Amino acid sequence: MAASTAEKVQEVREVTRIERIGAHSHIRGLGLDDALEARQTSQGMVGQQDARKAAGIILEMIKDGKIAGRAVMLAGQPGTGKTAIAMGMAQALGSDTPFTSIAGSEIFSLEMSKTEALTQSFRKSIGVRIKEETEIIEGEVVEIQIDRPATGTGAKVGKLTLKTTEMETIYDLGQKMIESLTKEKVQAGDIVTIDKATGKITKLGRSFTRARDYDAMGPQTKFVQCPEGELQKRKEVVHTVTLHEIDVINSRTQGFLALFSGDTGEIKSEVREQINSKVAEWREEGKAEIVPGVLFIDEVHMLDIECFSFLNRALESDMAPILIMATNRGITRIRGTQYLSPHGVPIDLLDRLLIVSTSPYEEKEVKQILRIRCEEEDVEMSDDALTVLTKIGMDASLRYSIQLITAAHLVCRKRKGTEVEVDDIKRVYSLFLDESRSTQFLKEYQQEFMFSEVQDQMETS
Amino acid sequence: MAAAWVEKLKSAQKTCLIQDGRRKIHFSFPDGMELSEEFDLKTGELAVRKWRKRGTLGGQGKWEMEIGDESPLRNVEVEGMMESSTNPVLVRKDTKTQFQWRIRNLPYPVNNYSVTVDDEKRQLVIRTENKKYYKRFDVPDLDRMQLELRQDQISIAHANNTLIVSYQKPREVLDMEKQLQDEFKKMKATQDGDIDCKPS
Repeated sequence: MAASTAEKVQEVREVTRIERIGAHSHIRGLGLDDALEARQTSQGMVGQQDARKAAGIILEMIKDGKIAGRAVMLAGQPGTGKTAIAMGMAQALGSDTPFTSIAGSEIFSLEMSKTEALTQSFRKSIGVRIKEETEIIEGEVVEIQIDRPATGTGAKVGKLTLKTTEMETIYDLGQKMIESLTKEKVQAGDIVTIDKATGKITKLGRSFTRARDYDAMGPQTKFVQCPEGELQKRKEVVHTVTLHEIDVINSRTQGFLALFSGDTGEIKSEVREQINSKVAEWREEGKAEIVPGVLFIDEVHMLDIECFSFLNRALESDMAPILIMATNRGITRIRGTQYLSPHGVPIDLLDRLLIVSTSPYEEKEVKQILRIRCEEEDVEMSDDALTVLTKIGMDASLRYSIQLITAAHLVCRKRKGTEVEVDDIKRVYSLFLDESRSTQFLKEYQQEFMFSEVQDQMETS
Repeated sequence: MAAAWVEKLKSAQKTCLIQDGRRKIHFSFPDGMELSEEFDLKTGELAVRKWRKRGTLGGQGKWEMEIGDESPLRNVEVEGMMESSTNPVLVRKDTKTQFQWRIRNLPYPVNNYSVTVDDEKRQLVIRTENKKYYKRFDVPDLDRMQLELRQDQISIAHANNTLIVSYQKPREVLDMEKQLQDEFKKMKATQDGDIDCKPS
């Protein structure tokens, strides 16, 4: 009995994939109205109204697409929503504007020089809208069959039968295709188009022949005719590719596949120059359009002085994207030097920046954020528990109290409760220390920890 | 008409190689297009003709077969999805006097098929009564010579799960092919294994 229910749960999981929840998954935009005024709570954003208003203005600048090479700095204490604002901007820009997000320490790698990594992320943030001929497959799904091997592990095998009014074809499916077909929930009777080069699947609607009176369907189910003629067609589509993608295509002989295999290594500067002039040519001929995007560098104080001087120079190029940086440092040492500077960024770069500052959240806002996170993580919490958690959030930190949501939820589930109560919070609060209590503890018991006596001896000697 | 095509081939940069009993000629055109032709040495038949175009964004494209079999090296994991091997496949395989298309894996009897000429698009259209297979394709050789497609030149046959569509080559095409053959014979070909290098 128990085994069969467990099996069933497994099955349901397979159909509706549970998505993993990230720290900023609740953010859907900047939460601004048409006049760029920030609403108190909207699209997952709470408070921080001044910073959001500023971000909104920058957003307009980006959408205009005229300005290249501006840089913005988000500065504020830890846990004041800097990354959240950047995420909100990315969401508000939509999927057609390239948005690259990196952390300052990401560029330090043994395989690539720092400047190469920076250049690549710069070029990932510039899009080119261009018309290209691609091969698409358009037809009605007759049958989709995905077999898992009997052993339970290993590669799945799939077959997809598509038809038009004139013909029928069976396709073998690769692993990636099976995954995206399941994700799109493609089933028999759907009319789909599949881009052969990129593997992108678009559902056009349901076939008319499958329209039945008692079918369960959503209100937005669209019915379309079964396509005519051949299944595979050549079609001109307009899409956005980044300069980096063009670089990769041209720097290798095997071409497009290199995009998927990762590991591009360094790209020669001659290739880049050649592509820049090619793109400029396309632009003049009206074949292509430049879409400046956004490069977001989190923890920018982790860059060193060489990177900063590279940025100074790179921002002056007319192919530069809008650069957004975030830091939580005050006056600190610039990495790679002995000099102190605000935010750990040299003054000459700071001079080119528009600085937006975020301030600590108020109690009301913390409560609101916690409520949003509870919803996002599917946790039900009593009002009292939320108040206690808010108090913890104010005393310790917002991040700590957000962590407690999941932990408390688990405790609650173990005692078979449905709603997280104050007791659950108390329990996890006593189990997991926050940063200040941990520091306190360390100060008290410093003597008992390893190496403390060594240090004493060293001091005496 | 025919002259334009011959001129185009003449203007291209050519490499010739004799390998596996075939004369392989590679043409690169000034616009970045590449053409590769392979002739059987014994019969003089054109076994393979394939084209490669540069992509819009640069980089090399894939070889597209005009005549001959496609290489069997295809991997479903790399391509994401591909036609199952049980599907009908169209391959062009000319004889001396006929253009010929063979569609393998078509088990239905011969009265199931109809092959017609679409004058507007200058294409041949294969239809099936049972709606299992449909294909439009053009005849590049006739396009190059700007000759009309004629319904009465088409004949079809069916055997061994294969549908064979034949189209009689017009006089003009035969003449031009002979002329080109003579030109190719004059080309200096590197033999397999010989590498043209001058040791210092």
